[in-house]
Amino acid sequence: MAHNTRLNVLPQRDGGIGRATFGSALPAPGGDLEPARSLYIHVPFCFHKCHYCDFYSIVDTQDRQVAYTDRLIGELRALAPYSRGEPLRTIFVGGGTPSLLRVELWERLLRSLDDSFTIVRDDDPCAVGDRPPTEFTVECNPETVTFDLMATLRRGGVNRVSMGAQSFDRGHLHTLERRHDPENVPRAIELARGAGIRRRSVDLIFGIPGQSIEDWERDLDRALALDIEHLSGYSLTYEPGTAMTARLSRGEFARMDEEVEVQMHRAVWSRARSAGMERYEVSNFARIGRGGVSVGAECSHNLAYWRQESWLAAGPSASGHLRTADGTAGHRWKNIPRLDDYLRPADAVGTSPLAEYEPPDPHRAVRERIMTGLRLREGIDPGWLRQACERVRPGSAERVRRSAETMSVRGLLEMEDRRWRLSDEGILFADGLAVEFFEAMD
Amino acid sequence: MPELPPKPSSAPRIRNFSIIAHIDHGKSTLADRLLQATNAVSAREAKEQILDSMDIERERGITIKASAVTVYHRHKPGAGADDLETDFESPAEDASPASHQVRKGDSPESHGDLYMLNFIDTPGHVDFNYEVSRALKACEGAILVVDATQGVQAQTLVNAYLAVNENLTIIPVINKIDLPSARTLEVAEEVEQTLGFAAEDCLLVSAKTGVGIPELLAAICERFPGPREPVTDKLRALIFDAVYDDYRGVIVYVRVFDGRLRVGDKIRMIGTERTFQVTEIGKMTPKPYRLPNGEIGPGETAYVVAAIRSLRDVRIGDTVTLENAPAAEALPGYQPPRQMVFCDFYPATTEDGDGADFEQLRDAVEKLSLNDSSFTFQPVHSEALGFGFRCGFLGLLHMDIVQERLEREGGVQIVQTAPTVSYHVLVRGTDTVTGANGQALKSVDHSSPFYRDVPAGSQLLEVHNPADLPNMGHVIEIREPICKVEIMLPKEYIGDVMKLCLDRRGLYKNQNYVSTSREIITFEVPLAEIIYDFFDKMKGMTSGYGTMDYEVIEYRADNLVKMDTLINGEPVEALALIVHRDKAEFRGRNLLVRLKEQIPRHQFEIPLQSALGGKVIARETIKAYRKDVLAKCYGGDVSRKRKLLEKQKEGKKRMKNVGSVTIPQEAFMAVLDQGD
Repeated sequence: MAHNTRLNVLPQRDGGIGRATFGSALPAPGGDLEPARSLYIHVPFCFHKCHYCDFYSIVDTQDRQVAYTDRLIGELRALAPYSRGEPLRTIFVGGGTPSLLRVELWERLLRSLDDSFTIVRDDDPCAVGDRPPTEFTVECNPETVTFDLMATLRRGGVNRVSMGAQSFDRGHLHTLERRHDPENVPRAIELARGAGIRRRSVDLIFGIPGQSIEDWERDLDRALALDIEHLSGYSLTYEPGTAMTARLSRGEFARMDEEVEVQMHRAVWSRARSAGMERYEVSNFARIGRGGVSVGAECSHNLAYWRQESWLAAGPSASGHLRTADGTAGHRWKNIPRLDDYLRPADAVGTSPLAEYEPPDPHRAVRERIMTGLRLREGIDPGWLRQACERVRPGSAERVRRSAETMSVRGLLEMEDRRWRLSDEGILFADGLAVEFFEAMD
Repeated sequence: MPELPPKPSSAPRIRNFSIIAHIDHGKSTLADRLLQATNAVSAREAKEQILDSMDIERERGITIKASAVTVYHRHKPGAGADDLETDFESPAEDASPASHQVRKGDSPESHGDLYMLNFIDTPGHVDFNYEVSRALKACEGAILVVDATQGVQAQTLVNAYLAVNENLTIIPVINKIDLPSARTLEVAEEVEQTLGFAAEDCLLVSAKTGVGIPELLAAICERFPGPREPVTDKLRALIFDAVYDDYRGVIVYVRVFDGRLRVGDKIRMIGTERTFQVTEIGKMTPKPYRLPNGEIGPGETAYVVAAIRSLRDVRIGDTVTLENAPAAEALPGYQPPRQMVFCDFYPATTEDGDGADFEQLRDAVEKLSLNDSSFTFQPVHSEALGFGFRCGFLGLLHMDIVQERLEREGGVQIVQTAPTVSYHVLVRGTDTVTGANGQALKSVDHSSPFYRDVPAGSQLLEVHNPADLPNMGHVIEIREPICKVEIMLPKEYIGDVMKLCLDRRGLYKNQNYVSTSREIITFEVPLAEIIYDFFDKMKGMTSGYGTMDYEVIEYRADNLVKMDTLINGEPVEALALIVHRDKAEFRGRNLLVRLKEQIPRHQFEIPLQSALGGKVIARETIKAYRKDVLAKCYGGDVSRKRKLLEKQKEGKKRMKNVGSVTIPQEAFMAVLDQGD
């Protein structure tokens, strides 16, 4: 395989998040890589660092938005060859707070995307079959949504917004150090709809210290009353290094009682179902058609992650994956996280310095598929599981099958439509069960 | 061909001696300096501590295996300080005595008479007291090293007592006098106060800078007596150490008291009654030097190679004689090594890999036993932990060293159960009693000093595994080993440490003045109370200044019971304990709290119980976890999530399954560190 070493090696730094710790580089576009049909762009700016967030973001006091946009456009140009001219299926702009990027910079970014990649518009007459409209999502903070911005995005091809509501309760928002007025959420959704952005999603968080099951149900009711096709309901995770975790360990508040948290999980399942949505991943719900048929409201971009497809990554701290043509494994990498490091390209082509890189490893790929597959409603194909395990660890398929049978007896895993998938109870133990599969594979 | 120094004019006078000290008081550095001063090693080699040869020893700064080194030295009788060979001789290129060439046209005699100095290194820790006493038996003198900054410590005393018991002449040396914090004169006073040597008899030395070394060499020649006259012409040589060498088998260190030993002799070990043919006799100088004439006589020490395959064939302390002209009786004082602390070693794996890993553990244990004959092992099987070995050790440090060597040299990961002591159980009847694994329990050896008060119609059994305790209906009493514990400490901590000793069922015996700031207290404490965290507690209470040593003095009966630990209703033998009845509830509760911290939550509730003969005396519950799923997959950063789960998987590798409960190795150690 023609590995190109032009990319991305940053001299080793002393500790800190900007540490570059690998000695390898991405392969050149083409070769035995399948074309990348998805793209993730990370916008690192926030006007305030929310206390639960562990994505890379900064409160930009020096106005580096222009520098960032320049650099990003350069990076997108360098990444474009990996799509090999194929139309992108998904683009996802996350953060940080992408809606914080100024409108004129958005315009430049959208133009450059159009220049570098093939984007299929909703109204493209050829947008059918294997050339569906590109799902183009932008994460928004309801506070920053203006009609002007929404219209700009719409004109640039954006057809989906993900609104970070988190909660409709001012007290709980305060606990999370989220500084927006909950009344702005319906307003923002309405602005997006009015601007012609046809797919809309809302993010909620539960398990916030002090939150009762009733509080959570109220949040759910308010979100589901909005004109949306998709809901994400995340239980609060105490990520290492976040302010929330520090406050927890200082005893400022207590971790939510697990039993209540489980009730909250069940509440979102049942409320979403009543509102015509189905869980298709641990924390994600999409509107379905009659008879439970998908109407395509799932987030295809996230599904690309969870199905180990190929996606490109641009922006500081963004993670990408490029699958080999035979589909058995892929290159994984993560861009350098610090904005200042990111602003200096790694080479003349314009690619970014990497913070992490993992070469293709079929065994790892199987573990990843199990890990993410268990979280999905669609589950795991037992035929694939058997073949894949046998390929990477001869003799392991039988152990893995026995392990699955045991989980099935325990009521955690079920066979449906000839696929293994976690039951409602099993979903609550998805991590531990993935570990059990890993053990069985060894 | 190297030659020995010509006879008779320079037939050397012999001095056999040891260096004894508290740990880190500079024993090894002093040994190196003496070797260097007598030109046995170069300065470069002296940088390393030559007499210690194992990795672990060097890392822990302790010496496990004694070895003997022979050097030659010149001393003018009556002189108070000697010329150093480094000043007048060329380096010893082939390390033989004959290479002691003299330069500058000097005659060797101008520097005095020739002395053969045999120094015999000793282990520094009380666990190896028996080895120390064997090494001392081979000597006429001992250099007692005391650190000028630390003063007399617990092991200083114990080692000094051992030397006094062997009737050795002692030269007290105060070392590290070059350090700014040295309290040289004060420490000399302590030596006088605690050991009864006149303060002015102490030699003041810095092994590091070499100050006082000429005086010490002179004192070795002047103050230490020569070897005693032979009492028979039949060979009697004391085995004071033995090491295993992968290529040559066992190398035995001997000290000849009577008769002569030659290459080709057929020798007989009086104790083991084994015979071997001597193929090589030599001395460590400290490089091995094969004696060209292949012969040693009274007073000398040497190493002997005789095609001995295993250390099991050799007993330290045994007497070597000749097969065809045997001595009538052995040299006095042989004792078999006595294992006082026991624990189980199991291979650490998931349930699938047990068989293979057990074999690996067995190989490691057998290999280690070739060069450490004082630990014992026998296969055991535990429901919870699979196949493993129950091992016996001289003491706690010995246990740690063995575990570390098995993991390091044998490449096996070990689950170690809580250590227990060896109990003596007096039972009615004389029929064979079987233990948990169906094997007959051993009777206490009648020759053991601890075998006493066994009425007719009863027997005294050795039990070191709580699971092996016979039916309590037949038990008359359970006796446990009692230690004499000496703790040397700054006065201000005495109250706390006394309380610790009393809490651990200690009996106050004595309190003695050491210096204006320090005292030594003596308690009798059950060994079982010492083997968990006593030392750490004492160190903590005294801000690290307290030192202690202990010695098992006798077995005493007490109200001892077996306490079971049940996990999810199943008794786990590896967590059973023999405890004092009055402390059972306290120990039980403590153990359960610690277990609760160590055992991860499962998808079901797990009760933890302590029970005495079926009666539950303490209970804790590990609540079921209700969810184990992270909300987010970290955007596209799949690697991060995968690594988290892989770490969990690796963690589970070191766990064991009891029924449906997965228990980490640390849980089995929870019994160890039960504080208050």
